[in-house]
Amino acid sequence: MNTPPAFSFLVCLRLLLAVLPLPGQNLLKHDHQLSSPLTSYLRLKEGLWLLDNNIDPYTGGSFHHSPLLLSLFSTIVPPLPIIWAISDAVGAWALLRIWRARQGLSFQKGTRSNVENLITSVYLLNPYLLLPSLALSTSTFENTLTLLALMFASQGKVSSALLAITFAVHLTPSSILLLLPIFMVLVSSPVSHLASPRPFHGNLKRIPFLFGEFTLYWLVLVGAACIITGGSWSWVRASWGATLTLPDLTPNPGLWWYFFTEMFDHFRPFFLMVFSVHLVIYILPICIKFQHDPLYAAFLLIGVLGTFKAYLTLADPGLFLSMISIFPEVHGYLRHPIITTLLHLHAALLLPLQHVLWVSEGRGNANFYYAASLVMGMAGGAGLVDACWAGMRIAVGDAKEWAEEKVDGEKGEGEGKVVWWEVVQQ
Amino acid sequence: MRRASVWIFLAYLCTPSFALYRKEIYKEDLRIQSLRDGQVSTTFSFVTVLEGAGPRNPKALGQRDESQHYALFPLTLGQILREYAITELHLTLNAGKWNYDNWGHPHEAGVGTGAELWAWMGASEVTTVDERWSGLRNALSGLFCASLGSLDSRRTLSPTVAFPLSGSTPTFSPHELRHASLPSENVCTENLTPFLKLLPCKSHAGLATLLNPQKVFDADWHGMGVHVIWKEDTGIELKLSLQTVFNPVRTSAGKRRDWNLQSLFDRSIERSCPVASSSSITVILPEGKDHKITPENPSYMDGLAIYDLSSSSNFTIPSNIAMYWPSEHSFQYRKSLSVPLPPLTPITPLSVKRTIHGTTQTRGVLSVSVTNNSPQEISVGYLEMMPALITMWMHTLKVEINSQIRSDLLSELKYHPPSPQSNDRFSPSMLQAVLTIPPKTTLKISMEVNKAFLKYTEHPPDAMRGWDLPGAVFFPLSQLSHNTSSSYDWERIYTPTLLVDLPTPDFSMPYNVIILSCTLMTLIFGSIFNLLTRKWVVMEIQE
Repeated sequence: MNTPPAFSFLVCLRLLLAVLPLPGQNLLKHDHQLSSPLTSYLRLKEGLWLLDNNIDPYTGGSFHHSPLLLSLFSTIVPPLPIIWAISDAVGAWALLRIWRARQGLSFQKGTRSNVENLITSVYLLNPYLLLPSLALSTSTFENTLTLLALMFASQGKVSSALLAITFAVHLTPSSILLLLPIFMVLVSSPVSHLASPRPFHGNLKRIPFLFGEFTLYWLVLVGAACIITGGSWSWVRASWGATLTLPDLTPNPGLWWYFFTEMFDHFRPFFLMVFSVHLVIYILPICIKFQHDPLYAAFLLIGVLGTFKAYLTLADPGLFLSMISIFPEVHGYLRHPIITTLLHLHAALLLPLQHVLWVSEGRGNANFYYAASLVMGMAGGAGLVDACWAGMRIAVGDAKEWAEEKVDGEKGEGEGKVVWWEVVQQ
Repeated sequence: MRRASVWIFLAYLCTPSFALYRKEIYKEDLRIQSLRDGQVSTTFSFVTVLEGAGPRNPKALGQRDESQHYALFPLTLGQILREYAITELHLTLNAGKWNYDNWGHPHEAGVGTGAELWAWMGASEVTTVDERWSGLRNALSGLFCASLGSLDSRRTLSPTVAFPLSGSTPTFSPHELRHASLPSENVCTENLTPFLKLLPCKSHAGLATLLNPQKVFDADWHGMGVHVIWKEDTGIELKLSLQTVFNPVRTSAGKRRDWNLQSLFDRSIERSCPVASSSSITVILPEGKDHKITPENPSYMDGLAIYDLSSSSNFTIPSNIAMYWPSEHSFQYRKSLSVPLPPLTPITPLSVKRTIHGTTQTRGVLSVSVTNNSPQEISVGYLEMMPALITMWMHTLKVEINSQIRSDLLSELKYHPPSPQSNDRFSPSMLQAVLTIPPKTTLKISMEVNKAFLKYTEHPPDAMRGWDLPGAVFFPLSQLSHNTSSSYDWERIYTPTLLVDLPTPDFSMPYNVIILSCTLMTLIFGSIFNLLTRKWVVMEIQE
């Protein structure tokens, strides 16, 4: 496969970073922005130790990883940093192939243009993705599996796509948001139709069969997980139940933790339900509105996850920001990219600062960090809203074209009168 | 006054014997010892033995109990023991840190700071052990005015190896242990008053008259204990003990370590308890010959001076027992010519220290150092009962001597992670290991720990104080399983408790957080749905 030169260079750089001992790597592992209790490397090592000593890792309240990860790192390969580097490389490769499928190019050849270099660089050099990967947070695997699922869906490979998304759903139940767009991409095509919307032209009747196949794969994985943990179901409550019941209130850049820290016990179940349903209600409207381009719908839902997920790390908005590179057609129609960038810059600088002030130095308090997480939420929201607008605005086109049509129809009386045309929503 | 005691004596003899009459024996003893750093340790033990009695069979809990008649044994405690079918019970309420290095092993081993309650109960289908444990805690908290009701599932464990049955094991059902401790419990007069009410003579006669709350709770270390043990050949033994360590050097005017009962307790014994079969004051004589003891006619035995105070003896009650050092001007502990000397070797063969290092509020390093002061190798059991708010990362456990890793010295490691209980709470985690310490070395165990972020409602009202962690327990291994070369007899060593600082949320903010977070989510939700549902038009803007 023909990869752009930037890909090989950056992958080598990433592998080098994994192999060389970095000075601050231990600090990165403990950082709360880069890994959450569901993805932390420390808890993974603890779970592996407990498994080695014949103690069920899921009985204590500290281990929330999936049994699949437990079996991967205990039997197949130890948790070395090189695995994370390989995962990053696979993710970049998948993103490249999604781009090629979207442009209708051949997967092998690609183009010589600089766009492919740019896409690879944006993924591999994005600090939101690089730092959690260096901190050995398992959110890297979740991102890679999501990209692999989208890649296989863009190539039309049904079983591989469904298997990849099943693994992703197993690691993070919130990835279920991407299920419907992936089905839609599988039955239609990933080629960009943002500029020319039309009703969904794929075969809707295939979707229940795809759903059945997904359920089959999912049940097989559930069975495998049960076998790995020795027939008990405690892993369900510890790993999937954690996103629904939020047992661990460690701070992270998301919006859930402080909300549920300050919540009285009486209202907790209600608001947990509200927050979880809030994620789900975005699926249908976005998929219906962007039925002409389901890959863009998947991109928007990744943005929703990157702002409103339960245990957010920086890797989740990172995936959204990196994926924007494969939609260059909307870049011209973004209304406030500068504001989004600045908000992200603010958040990226404030979050570690306020965290250290609160927890390490004892000079701030929890509200400081909460405010920084609100800025992060605004940044994610700004990016999401802008991407939504741009994806629809591109379909309308230039205001002048519409204007010219109209003026041609008239008798040409309006000379000397300057008329401005604007595309708005009503 | 003497007539009252005669009446009590006659009433005791005339107790009708058709009820379930068991012979009850009551003994009281006070041990006073001058410690090497000038402090004085006093141990009161009031033992009531109910001969021939046995614990209640828990399988018969649903039926009516046979009627119990006690003359000397306290009825309130006896009722609690029968109600919950307790075989063995130990409750200690202590304040202060027991200095093992200078004071040696205490006469009563349970010196963990705060409240510690453990009980062995038989299993039964009528009521579960946990239900009876909960009932026992609440009953004892009512009896002793201590907040033992908060020793719930968040603090309860079953460390059967470190806290074995001291007495005999009944055969009617397999027994289970429940152990809980609350290091932040304060001990005060309200706990002493019901304690004294359990004695036959209360605080009117006998040794208990010395228990002046103002003096006892002013001591550097004080603790009271209630121990109920069943011994098959003797019966149910109830031991009420009160240990204090006074500091006469601090309280006396001339910085002397002389003590007498009047200066220690500010009380004197007027009359002896008539129902006590033996009542004595035992003074453990210090080394050396330069001390003097008055009155000068005790019975000497084996380094002890015993004053017998029971009413059956012909001994007249001494008005005051005193020990003084006539040739010493003022007591200097390890100072000669006002230059401090290095401290003496500790009395106990093992010295322990435990700390949590770390400057952040999220994580720290728990470090326990054990020093073997004896010339022989010692194998000792180590028990750590950590509440669920501290997560111990077991994969970072290290055993070192002088910064050199020695994993061979830690064996038989057993770890129970916190297990979820009802109502979303977690039981403490239990770490148990066998440590082998070479002679004259310091072994250091360290592991990283994580401090939890608790919910708003889980923090106590004084959240900035922090949380108390119970001390670790070092216990001797049974002679059958390990050949320990230790020739002395000791039960347990408690490390001091720790105070951890947990990160707190802002307690004034629930409403603000809800409205801010919900506003942000609603803004984004509203904007997106606004965009998705509106129609596009081209509008002409007139200039």
